[in-house]
Amino acid sequence: MDIEVIRSYIPLYRDALLLTLRIGWQGVLWAFVIGLVCTLIRQLRIPVLRQLVTVYVELFRNTPLLVQLFFMYFALPKIGIRISAEVCGSLGLGLLGGAYMAETFRSGLDNIAPIQEESALSLGMSYLQAFRYVILPQAVTASMPGIVANVIFLLKETSVFSVISLMDLMFTAKDLIGMYAKTIECLTLLVVFYLIMLLPVSLLGSLLERRMRRAEFGN
Amino acid sequence: MRKNQIVAAVTAITLGAALASSPAAFADEAFRTLDEIKESGTINIGVFSDKSPFGYVDENGDYQGYDVYLAERLGEDLGVDINYVSTEAANRIEYLQTGKVDIILANFTVTEERAEEVDFALPYMNVALGVVSPEDAVIESLDDIGEDDQVIVISGTTAETYLVKNNPEIKLQKYDAYAEAKTAFENGNGVAWANDNTEVIAFSIENEGYVVGIPSLGSADTIAPAVTKGNETLLNWINDEIVALGEENFFHADYEATLLDTYGADYEDTLVIEGGVAAGAETEAE
Repeated sequence: MDIEVIRSYIPLYRDALLLTLRIGWQGVLWAFVIGLVCTLIRQLRIPVLRQLVTVYVELFRNTPLLVQLFFMYFALPKIGIRISAEVCGSLGLGLLGGAYMAETFRSGLDNIAPIQEESALSLGMSYLQAFRYVILPQAVTASMPGIVANVIFLLKETSVFSVISLMDLMFTAKDLIGMYAKTIECLTLLVVFYLIMLLPVSLLGSLLERRMRRAEFGN
Repeated sequence: MRKNQIVAAVTAITLGAALASSPAAFADEAFRTLDEIKESGTINIGVFSDKSPFGYVDENGDYQGYDVYLAERLGEDLGVDINYVSTEAANRIEYLQTGKVDIILANFTVTEERAEEVDFALPYMNVALGVVSPEDAVIESLDDIGEDDQVIVISGTTAETYLVKNNPEIKLQKYDAYAEAKTAFENGNGVAWANDNTEVIAFSIENEGYVVGIPSLGSADTIAPAVTKGNETLLNWINDEIVALGEENFFHADYEATLLDTYGADYEDTLVIEGGVAAGAETEAE
């Protein structure tokens, strides 16, 4: 291990970390928005859209991100649709994550016994009130572990960005190894930087899970 | 946040760093000697699977090309079967250092930096860098590249290293593999593509609308087989073999079998090195 080499590579890794985080969080944000919209459509049982959501969720849950990125970045330009690499990255993550989030939210909602909604309605609450004050808090609590797992999963999926020429952490490490062959230094930095990025997310996640537990039924 | 979680986090970072850097994991002899290869009956050779006409997979799923032609002969003369391992430019050194392959025959340009990490045998081909661009916006000198323009390169190639070192102001768009770089270039993602000149010449011949505006950039280099650092028995055998093959003009036959269709006869003497003697290259490199 050559400390000098490590020191000289740190700025490159820092840039890569910032890019990974920027695109990663944009993707996570998209995933939340898409997941929520899908959940609403399913919950409100809107015809046609509901079927489209099912198609979307199955399509994106059952193809690898790598394939989705390839398609967006290399195939779409052939039919005149040109998307920049960064947008491809965040959109790809968002679409993949949206499908996962939709499923996680659904499982959270499914977790709540129908009698709760019925009770709320019989107490004179409107459907929206019942959803806002009774169902949603419990559903969020139940989905929390799944949501945290999804976020970490999405941030880790950024490691396939090299196929669309984004200098994320993984590609930066591979690229430097290819040029200067300082394998041990490059891979050590890679592990450390991924941990720097993801450990706070894990810790924050478990903190949130604990805080959210107060809405759990029966506690 | 609980104390034990912080402790766990710190431990994870330290452990991760320690594992990745542990010298013990890398201390084992990574290579197989000539005798061990012969005994096992199979040699692992790293080649490109997407770099036509040097190393590629044909429509029948067989490896073909200038590099593969040599690989076939090496296997035959060693009396062993060949297991081809498909490599990308950036992991050629890794594959040797970790013993995943015995020889790299993936159009590997000899450079000083690489020679510190692997052992190169005698050369079998000349190469320089070249830059190809669309014919309606030809790049004839690196000065033609605008401030916001991006040049496509493949990660881990000499073109990348050259531009990073000598023209750090040029914005590079890097790809893992030849196939992806080619598609991106065809899609118009960069103003030019810098690579080995053999490769960009082949591209301009095979694809209409592209010109090699800069046919030769940097120093004249050579391409040679590489083995894991310290694998002397295998290195010596390959060197003897390349000298012996020179007597039957093997590499000219190789050129005619694999490269003639792409380059025509004009490039034969410029590209081929026979018997490991790179006559022209050394004086040009001065």
